[in-house]
Amino acid sequence: MRRWKTTKDSAANVFRIAILATATFSLLPASGALGRRSVATAEEKGKTNAVTIDNFSFAPMQLEIPAGTQVTWINKDDVPHTVVSMDHKFKSRALDTDESFSFTFQTPGAYEYFCSVHPKMTGKIVVK
Amino acid sequence: MNPYNIREALLAKHAQHVVLIHFPVALFLVGVAFDFVAYFTKRSALAAAAYYNFVVAAISSLPVVATGLLAWQLQLDGQKLKGILLQHLVLGITSCVMICLTWYVHFRSRRSSQQTSHRFRLPLELVAAGVIALTAHLGGYLTGVNLPS
Repeated sequence: MRRWKTTKDSAANVFRIAILATATFSLLPASGALGRRSVATAEEKGKTNAVTIDNFSFAPMQLEIPAGTQVTWINKDDVPHTVVSMDHKFKSRALDTDESFSFTFQTPGAYEYFCSVHPKMTGKIVVK
Repeated sequence: MNPYNIREALLAKHAQHVVLIHFPVALFLVGVAFDFVAYFTKRSALAAAAYYNFVVAAISSLPVVATGLLAWQLQLDGQKLKGILLQHLVLGITSCVMICLTWYVHFRSRRSSQQTSHRFRLPLELVAAGVIALTAHLGGYLTGVNLPS
């Protein structure tokens, strides 16, 4: 005998779909955040010590390098950006498209920096 | 950063330029709209409203130029500008001059009680609005507010 769906069954289905949708949408931003917050080491990238400035962000956001390594920031954006250390250890001029700025890190430590034109743009160099 | 910390808010890393710029832009553009409607409908109240919009726009444009120059000196160490930054600087100063000039033309017109200045006053306002729009577009481009999300 055919059993008609009751209001209780429908409610349970809606509840299941809601749980599934919530789980899916909660994971999406998390995967995006992982993709954006990139960390690279000089060893991993075959001594690559360049930081690309593109789409109003530094990539990689965090770079790990051995002491004595020179890091070069290249602006690939259409607007000017700067590279300024939080503790004023280094500061670039305004970099136009395809212009670059280099700095050699001699002392181990963590160096946080930002763009003085767009302070929300931040990055970090970890010198080991 | 605490949004209610006055000191942090006023001395934030960004210049106050991007906050203050909205006042003269809005006041001037609304003033132009009022003046055009006043001209075509012959409403003196709207003409008066346009005049006072221009007065406040001219006054509020001065701190905008000052904070823009300060941002250039403090954040970029007064380095020689080029590209979009230079265009924004030149157009910004031109916009300020045109806003003040528009106010002055209205001021002279009101003092002499002559209504014959419309012939060049309205085109001047249109050109000024265009220059302001271009300056604002470049400013928005520089700050990244029109970046696709």
